[in-house]
Amino acid sequence: MGRNMIWIGLFRLTSCLLFALGIVTNCLAGEPLEQIKQNTDKVLAILAEPALKAPDKVRERRELILKAVDKRFDWEEMARRCLARFWPQRTPEEKKEFVKLFKDLLQRVYMDKVEGYSWNKIHYEGETIDGDYGVVKVKIFTAKEQAIHVEYRLLKKKDHWWVYDFSVEGISLTNNYRTQFNEIIVKSSYQELVKKLKAKSAQH
Amino acid sequence: MEFAVGLFVLVGIICLGYLSIKLGRMEIVGGKGYEVYALFSNTGGIKTGSSIVLAGVEVGRVKHISLENYQAKIVFSLQPDVKIQEDAIASIKTKGLVGEKYIEITPGGSEKFVPPGGKIRETQPPVDLEELISKILFEKI
Repeated sequence: MGRNMIWIGLFRLTSCLLFALGIVTNCLAGEPLEQIKQNTDKVLAILAEPALKAPDKVRERRELILKAVDKRFDWEEMARRCLARFWPQRTPEEKKEFVKLFKDLLQRVYMDKVEGYSWNKIHYEGETIDGDYGVVKVKIFTAKEQAIHVEYRLLKKKDHWWVYDFSVEGISLTNNYRTQFNEIIVKSSYQELVKKLKAKSAQH
Repeated sequence: MEFAVGLFVLVGIICLGYLSIKLGRMEIVGGKGYEVYALFSNTGGIKTGSSIVLAGVEVGRVKHISLENYQAKIVFSLQPDVKIQEDAIASIKTKGLVGEKYIEITPGGSEKFVPPGGKIRETQPPVDLEELISKILFEKI
């Protein structure tokens, strides 16, 4: 009888352990990919919403999209990486101003693309996790069945995966802006870069 | 006379050895500097000995290329005085339109540096111009 109890106890313990392990692996597996997918689905749902398609609803729709994107994109990390070696030289106020200008720039550039694109099908190819860093690969199919390769690079901060860079067809956003900003600052000054970004912002 | 011929042959062999080491970009005794590595989805034709440049200045060479988990692992041999920030980006570029391939490092702003034997996390594979052009063309039709 005593032996039977031990066996039952052991069985229960193993089941508990396996169950706990199952939960843990389930949480770990598909984390960044799952989070990217949730956000993309949210944006697609906003774009597909018939009530928001009217011309007078453009502003409202954009705000909703931005809200969804804000939850996944780490603008400060992105701006820091784009300004690269010039970032530590900036004062906290300058940094704050730059992050805002940078966010405005990206929103201007990408909002039209997101709104105007015919998102036919999205295929999530997979993810790789290396410590606190993750990469999610996505293939977006256009209406003409042409595949566009997009890669998100994410950083984990308090269980939340934040996008700090993404590349389209292998061209990284951070690398592109880092080169451009570096060129402007080296040729003239940081103030000149801010002036240019402000002028662009005013144009819109 | 025989001694002179022997000496001539010897000098010739030494010269040949020197040339092959120089042209083959080999290092006899390890070489100075340190090594770091990066993973690329595609090498685009980078070879052992290809240049690694930073701001157009050569700072090292490709030491070894191997396959790791269906990705290309490229080992860089860098000059000892060149420090690479943790958020630096290594991208494969082409000199001109059809020229030699090389690796360009865009310096980052992080205070942490990649240690010897460490990994440059951010990489950008070469851009396939042909594929890009065809995509733009077909998209337009």
